[in-house]
Amino acid sequence: MKKYFFLTLILALIFVISCEKDDICLENTTPNLVLKFYDINNDTLVKPVTSLTVWANELDTLYLNKSFDSIIIPLDFNLNKTNYKLVANNIADTIYFSYERKDIFISRSCGYKTIFENLEIDSISNNWIKGFNINNTIIDNDTTAHINIYH
Amino acid sequence: MTQRHILIFIISLFINFTVNSQEKQDSIKTKVSYGIRVGVDISKPIISFLDSDRKGLELTGDIKVAENYYAAVELGYEDALKAEDYFNFTAKGSFVKIGINYNAYENWKGMNNEIYIGTRYAFSLFSQTLNSFTPNSKSTYFIADEITPNTEFNDLNAHWIEFLFGMKVETFKNLFLGAQFSIKKMLSTKEPENFKNLYIPGFNQVSLNNIGVGFNYTLSYNIPIISKYK
Repeated sequence: MKKYFFLTLILALIFVISCEKDDICLENTTPNLVLKFYDINNDTLVKPVTSLTVWANELDTLYLNKSFDSIIIPLDFNLNKTNYKLVANNIADTIYFSYERKDIFISRSCGYKTIFENLEIDSISNNWIKGFNINNTIIDNDTTAHINIYH
Repeated sequence: MTQRHILIFIISLFINFTVNSQEKQDSIKTKVSYGIRVGVDISKPIISFLDSDRKGLELTGDIKVAENYYAAVELGYEDALKAEDYFNFTAKGSFVKIGINYNAYENWKGMNNEIYIGTRYAFSLFSQTLNSFTPNSKSTYFIADEITPNTEFNDLNAHWIEFLFGMKVETFKNLFLGAQFSIKKMLSTKEPENFKNLYIPGFNQVSLNNIGVGFNYTLSYNIPIISKYK
């Protein structure tokens, strides 16, 4: 009888272990670009933008007439550049971003994520935006601000 | 009195006769043949037939080394295309498993069935090909295009151990049908760069805790080498 105990034990283990644990993607995937708005006269003072509308290239509106002290915007992972139109109180500015892409393997359920390196601002119009500062040229997470915008 | 003695004598004769006949039956010798048992996993061709993404072959062999102990080996080849949510890849390679089975089943005289437990050391040499992937993003503002890099990762290997449970039934003389279930624990792998061994020939799907499961369904033939009466 003792012999059969081990047989049942192995069989039971097979059934328990057969359940897959890594079916759901819980890790961080492709990060977004984080812009934070500061006061031009005091670059440590966060100054929210009232009534901000944001969209990229020829796409739909991402944010519409909302007040933000920072925004999270996705970058185009099919191209090495993205441009965004930021309209604050009916004054429009366009920012042209350029970067390099790198695909990093995460896991079975998440697959690959794209991280962005060598982030640059190729050109920026200065209608309501008075200046900018790139804090981090590598975008591998979206927890901290990559770019400060002064207005 | 004499009549009674005669009766006892006759009865004892009968008893003696029956006891004798039983001894004769016990002493009938059965022919036992020892040899190499070779087989093929018949589940793999069936799976290949039903699912064109999976091709494989597995050959098995075992030999009795001591009472109830069998040295066993499995050799195989596999070519599997696996599709996940955000990518798909092909794992291709061959494997070998060497180990021992312990038969826990007590046969009646002349029977050769087995219910066994066993253990294996296994080794696989394989390659992985990342056929295509789509970068994963929680944001749906930009839609990622599918990328088809067809990157091939060669010279990969893996070592693991298996604990198994199975049975073999002699259906015809020397012809066995067998089923075997195994749990596998990875010991070490050579991982590809910027990818992962998610499926390994012989090991099957690799889960997060490096444990795998498998089964085979074999048809095997015992090639008799030595036959003796026991």
